[in-house]
Amino acid sequence: MLCDDCKKKPASIFYKDVSGNQIKEVHLCEDCARKRGLLLDKKLSPLEILQKLLKNYTYEDEKVICPVCFLSLAEFKKFGRFGCGNCLLTFEPYIKTMIKEVQTSEKHIGKKAKPGGRRAIEVFRLKEELRRALEKEAYEEAARIRDELKTLGVENV
Amino acid sequence: MFENIKWLISPELANECEEMEIVVSSRIRVARNVDGIPFEIKMKQQDAEKLVQIVKSALEMNFKGRYLNLQNIKPLEKESLFESHLISPAIMKKEQPTALFINEKGNIAIMVNEEDHLRIQGLSCGLNLTNIASEVYLFEEALGQELGYAYNENYGFITSCPTNLGTGLRASVLFHLPGLVYTNEIDKVLKSTINLGMNVRGIYGEGSEIKGNLFQISNQHTLGFKEDELIEKINKFARTLIDLEKKARDVIISRARYELEDKIFRSRAILSSARLISSDEVLNLLSAIRLGIGIGLINDIDINTVNEIMLITRPGNIQLFYGEILEEEERDIKRAEYIRNRLISKKS
Repeated sequence: MLCDDCKKKPASIFYKDVSGNQIKEVHLCEDCARKRGLLLDKKLSPLEILQKLLKNYTYEDEKVICPVCFLSLAEFKKFGRFGCGNCLLTFEPYIKTMIKEVQTSEKHIGKKAKPGGRRAIEVFRLKEELRRALEKEAYEEAARIRDELKTLGVENV
Repeated sequence: MFENIKWLISPELANECEEMEIVVSSRIRVARNVDGIPFEIKMKQQDAEKLVQIVKSALEMNFKGRYLNLQNIKPLEKESLFESHLISPAIMKKEQPTALFINEKGNIAIMVNEEDHLRIQGLSCGLNLTNIASEVYLFEEALGQELGYAYNENYGFITSCPTNLGTGLRASVLFHLPGLVYTNEIDKVLKSTINLGMNVRGIYGEGSEIKGNLFQISNQHTLGFKEDELIEKINKFARTLIDLEKKARDVIISRARYELEDKIFRSRAILSSARLISSDEVLNLLSAIRLGIGIGLINDIDINTVNEIMLITRPGNIQLFYGEILEEEERDIKRAEYIRNRLISKKS
């Protein structure tokens, strides 16, 4: 028996489709059953979906590069990953449609990022400075950095 | 030896939770990246070192818990963290510095330098997404203040992969659905799950096999919804699924009571007397026990014991439990021994 959909390959999947009062016997080959979304296996990975959705850019487009991390559009297509927080802005014109397809939306309405003091980042920077100051035995500078760290709530450094 | 794997049985996970015979666990995961540090594919060794350090100090300034540098722990311990759903295969494979924070209560685990800089995860037994989410967001907010997240007004929190943009939130529930499996309704149910915009996976998440009638269901989209909406959608669906599973169980009880009882009590007999047993066989037999408890056939074993056996008998955990490296057959012997003891000694 041939597949109901493509009428080319032999049908290997048989099932009764019940819609309303009608019961219809359906015969499908594996490929067509998959096309109808009946088989759950062999799902495309998120990366494969992304790649399918990113349309073929021209050679020139693919050379677009993020000015912050230097990821190119060609690389983004290959890995399906951003290289930094800025890539999204750089590639937006090229990937807008893809995002909408993948996410079914293009506007964030959830929680917003709260502007913070980024204390941990500052502490890290100061600790690095302190280490360098101690290395060159600049003790006055080191004391000043320790005071700054203290105001950020970091003691015993 | 049990000390080694204390992280496995968090007191929080061993609580009484809602619908524990059908919902094994709930988890919330939020992906965040620190603004100004390159993401995974552009990250250099020194960036990774910096990330692991600043997250450590950001956590220390706000929370109590353990910060494990994953490069310093043994492969077996890593395996065990994975089997306990605390770390992912992706982070295990990384050569750059990575870390894991576990809070004192043991219900929050933060992976540092996975695909995203931070994967803040919360775990709970039963159906408990809303509560666990509020705990996760305590960590998310405090860390955001300390670190500053990569964020865009239009697209929300920027993640390494566009499939996580926006909220970066994945709410997932691990279901135990033997009723729907035995009544052959599961394919239909899973198909509609996918059509409703949700993902279905096995017990160990993306790419993992379906074993022990365990199915993990999570939201597929992360952008364009409020966090509460995403969680509520999964909650609502979970309630429906629980009802369907209960109905399927009723059908089996009314139509095949003896076959069902036979299956449940044979499973119990094997678990209580086997001398060699593989971890997958355990998962399948425990499924029958869990079902037996759910329909009131077994009342001298509790669900927490089932959960504990399920966790400790995984290949890595069983070795850590006995404190030695074991070959496959030795593991099968020790696993059988552990289960026998567990089922005899704790019948409450």
